[in-house]
Amino acid sequence: MLIALPILILFPVAIALALMDGRRKPAGIIAIAALAFATAALGVLMAKVAIDGPQEVVAGGWSPDVGIRLRVDALGAIFALTTAAVLLASMAQAVAAGCASRTTPTLTVFMALGLTGLFLTGDVFSFYVFFELAMISAYGLTAGEGLAGGRFRAGFIFAVVNLIGSFLFLIAIGALYRATGTLEMIEVARRAAEINPNTAILLAVTFFVAFGVKLGLFPFHAWLPSVYLGVQPHIAAMFAGALANIGAYGLLRFGGVILPRELELGATAIIVLGGVSIVYGAIQAISRRETREVLAYSAIGHAGYVLVALGLGGPVGLTAAVVFSVANALNKTLLFLTSELRGKFMATAFLIGALSVAGVPPSAGFFGKASLFEAGIDAESIAALVLLFVGGALTFVYLFQIYQHDRWRPRAEGEYDRDNLITAGRPAQRTVGVIVALVVLVLGLWPQPLLAVADQAAAQIEQEAPR
Amino acid sequence: MTTSALTRMISRSLLAPTLIVALAILVKGYASVGDGFSAGVVAALGILLQMLAFGRDQVTADLPIHRAPLVAMTGLFIGFAVLAVPVLTGGAPLEHWPPPDEKPIYLGTVELITAVVFDIGVFLLVLGSCVKVIDALAGAAAEDDA
Repeated sequence: MLIALPILILFPVAIALALMDGRRKPAGIIAIAALAFATAALGVLMAKVAIDGPQEVVAGGWSPDVGIRLRVDALGAIFALTTAAVLLASMAQAVAAGCASRTTPTLTVFMALGLTGLFLTGDVFSFYVFFELAMISAYGLTAGEGLAGGRFRAGFIFAVVNLIGSFLFLIAIGALYRATGTLEMIEVARRAAEINPNTAILLAVTFFVAFGVKLGLFPFHAWLPSVYLGVQPHIAAMFAGALANIGAYGLLRFGGVILPRELELGATAIIVLGGVSIVYGAIQAISRRETREVLAYSAIGHAGYVLVALGLGGPVGLTAAVVFSVANALNKTLLFLTSELRGKFMATAFLIGALSVAGVPPSAGFFGKASLFEAGIDAESIAALVLLFVGGALTFVYLFQIYQHDRWRPRAEGEYDRDNLITAGRPAQRTVGVIVALVVLVLGLWPQPLLAVADQAAAQIEQEAPR
Repeated sequence: MTTSALTRMISRSLLAPTLIVALAILVKGYASVGDGFSAGVVAALGILLQMLAFGRDQVTADLPIHRAPLVAMTGLFIGFAVLAVPVLTGGAPLEHWPPPDEKPIYLGTVELITAVVFDIGVFLLVLGSCVKVIDALAGAAAEDDA
C-alpha cells in the first residue's frame, strides 16, 4: 500500500494537469503540492525500508511468481527520494520564474511518476516502461522550456541520442528474457549466474552502453552539453539532478545485482572509462568560460566517479557509488538552480554548491568524495586514488575559474549572457535556492542517515547478487 | 473543396459504420481478436476520413474535435482508476474483478470484468490522442496552404 502511494498521487495529478494551462499559477501550485506529497510519502517509505527491510506488493494480487512486482529496497528508496526532492525544488523554481510552456507542470509530474515507478519496480520490463515515460516527458520539457537559440537543436539531439540508448536497453531486456526466461529482477539475478558467459558479457556491455548514454559518460556524452545549455536552468537541474539518476541506478541495479560477475570481469575497463570521463570532463570544463557550460562538462566528469566506485566494487565501493550519486544529484541541482541568480543569498548558495562539489566539509559533497577515497583505500588501488586526487584537483580549478571568468569579471553589454538569463531572481526563486543549499549543508553536518541507508543498499546488493 | 460529391457522400455514410465496427472490436476482445487499442485506431481513422473528404474547418464545425484531449485524459484516468480503486478497497493494485471462481455479470454476451473497463480506457486514450494528432497535422497543413 505505502509503496504504491507515490504512484497513486502522481498519476491522477499528472492527468489533471495535462488539461490545464501550466503557464498559470494554479497548475504550477498543484504540481508542487503533488510532488511535495510524493516526496513526503517516499521519505516515510525510506524510513520503513531502513527499519523493516525491503517492501513489496504484487500487482493484481497474483502469486509472486506470476504477477508484476512493485518492490523497493534501500537502493531504490534512496534514489526515489532524492529524485523526487530534486524535481520538487526544480518545479518550485520553474513556477516561481514562470513556466514558459503550458505543458511544463504536467510533464514534470509525469517525469516524477516515471522515475518513481522505475526506482520502485521489481520487474525488468516495467522498469523499461517507467523509464520511457520519464524520457518522453524529458523530451517534451526540452522542447517546451528550451531557450530561444538552441531549443530545437537541443530537443532533437536529446531525443535522437537517447532513443538509441533506449533502443539498446530494450534489446538488452529482450536478450535477458531470452537467456533467463523471466523478467522478475530477483529471479533474473539468480538465473543470470547460470547463463552462457559469452551471452552474459554481451548483455552486460549492452546494458552498460544503454545506461552510459543516460548518465552522459565518456564516450557517450556528446548529447549532454548542448542539451543542458539549450534549456532553462531549472530544467537543466531536473536533468542533472533527477534524470541522470537513471544511469547511476541502472548501473548499480543491472551491474551490481543482476550481472555482478560480468561487472567484476570488466572492472578494469570500467575504471579506465570512468577515469577518462573524469579527466575529459574536467579538462573540457576548465576550457569553458560560461558557468552553465562548466557545469554541463562537470556532469560528464562526475558520471565518471560513479563508474570508478562501481569498478572498485565490494560493499565499500557500492556504498561510495550510492553516497556520491546522491550528493552529486543535490550539488548539481543547487548549482544549476542558482547559476543565473545574483544577490547576496544566491551567491552564498552557489558558493556552498561549488564547495560541496569540490568536497569541502561540511557539505554533502565532502562525504561523497570521502567515501570514494575510502573505496579506493579499501580496494588498495593506488591508480584509483591518484585518479580521484587528480580529478579533485581539476575540479577545484574549474570551479574557481567560474569566479575568475564569469562572476568577478566586469562584462561588456550582453557578453556571456546570450540567453539573457541572469537576474536577481524573484523572492520565491531565492527561497528555493536557499532551501536546497541548506539541505546540502545539513547532509554535510549530519550524514549518518545517508551513510546508513547507503550501507544498507550496498549490503542488499551484495546479498541479492548471486555468487 | 477538392473532393467530389461522390467521395463526400461515401465518407459521410461511412462514419457511423466505422464507429460501430470500432465498438464491435472493443467488446469482442478477450475471447477473440480485438481490444481497445485497435478499436481506438479504427475510430480515429473514421475521423481522419472525414477530415480528408470535408476539410478540417467543416469537420471541426460538425464534430467536437476540440474535446479530443479531454477524451484522451478521461481514458487515461479510467486506466488509472482500474489501478487505484482496488487499492482503496484494500486489495492489490490492478486487482481483477470478479475474483477467481466467481461468475462475472453478463450484458448479453459481453462479460463485465475489470479488463473491459481498462480497455474502454485504452480505447478513449488512443481515440483522443490520434484525433488530436490528426487535427494538429491537418492544422499545420492548412497553415502551409494559406
